[in-house]
Amino acid sequence: MNTLDAHSWLADHGDYLFRVARRQLHSDELAEDAVQETLLAALSAQTRYSGDASPRSWLTGILKHKIVDLIRRNVREVEIPRDEDGEEAVDSLFRQDGHWVEPLRPWGNPQAEAELSQLRRVLDECADRLKPVMAQVFSLREVAGMETAEICKELNITPTNCWVLLHRARLFMRQCLELNGFSKAGAA
Amino acid sequence: MKWMPTCRETTELASRAMDERLPFADRLAMRFHLAICDNCARFNRQLQEMRRLFRAEAEADDDAPGLDPDARQRIASELQKKLGS
Repeated sequence: MNTLDAHSWLADHGDYLFRVARRQLHSDELAEDAVQETLLAALSAQTRYSGDASPRSWLTGILKHKIVDLIRRNVREVEIPRDEDGEEAVDSLFRQDGHWVEPLRPWGNPQAEAELSQLRRVLDECADRLKPVMAQVFSLREVAGMETAEICKELNITPTNCWVLLHRARLFMRQCLELNGFSKAGAA
Repeated sequence: MKWMPTCRETTELASRAMDERLPFADRLAMRFHLAICDNCARFNRQLQEMRRLFRAEAEADDDAPGLDPDARQRIASELQKKLGS
């Protein structure tokens, strides 16, 4: 392994790493930071790269940690369990007696009907409306498939807060998808 | 929790069930409610549908935009700095 590798990593895997990071961080700027930190860390650690994994999967492994680090820095700045708009927005979905205010509309078959690029646009728009931390925790769980226990531990939040955060994120995301054309008459 | 949770409580249970196995009593309570409530049953199906969609999108071979040229340049010079140090 020689010093040229760092530049070839950027050339060969930069776009890939950026896309992975972008999906979980919902921000171009943060995703660029994640790529940079990943490659710098890889450079420091390259003697430990055994060559067993492909460079891409080795780099992707480092990237995952960097993404969690970036989200962790974000979490510090946010009061999670009782943030004002979260609680109120959930209240607005349910009546006092706990019933839905509005019936849920059925979705068509989004996979068949939505082009990927369109789906991506809607996801981005909906994620933008969530608090950044909420969108990021949601993505760690639903996009990256990290276990909730791992997310709580890494971000240093209690399991209860984690569930509250995910419950809200799912309610809002679902509603946002419905408002953005996921609902179709007559389907499941 | 009462034997029959409200819709709001049921969405909490359904959400949590996406993350871990619920305690037996909670699971039973959720099932009861889902069996008689179309809205919550739909909510539960849509949670699973969302997960499927997001993962499918994440794994799709990609035409999403890549690194911006300026960012690429910036990262390259950071790497160079580190290589030179």
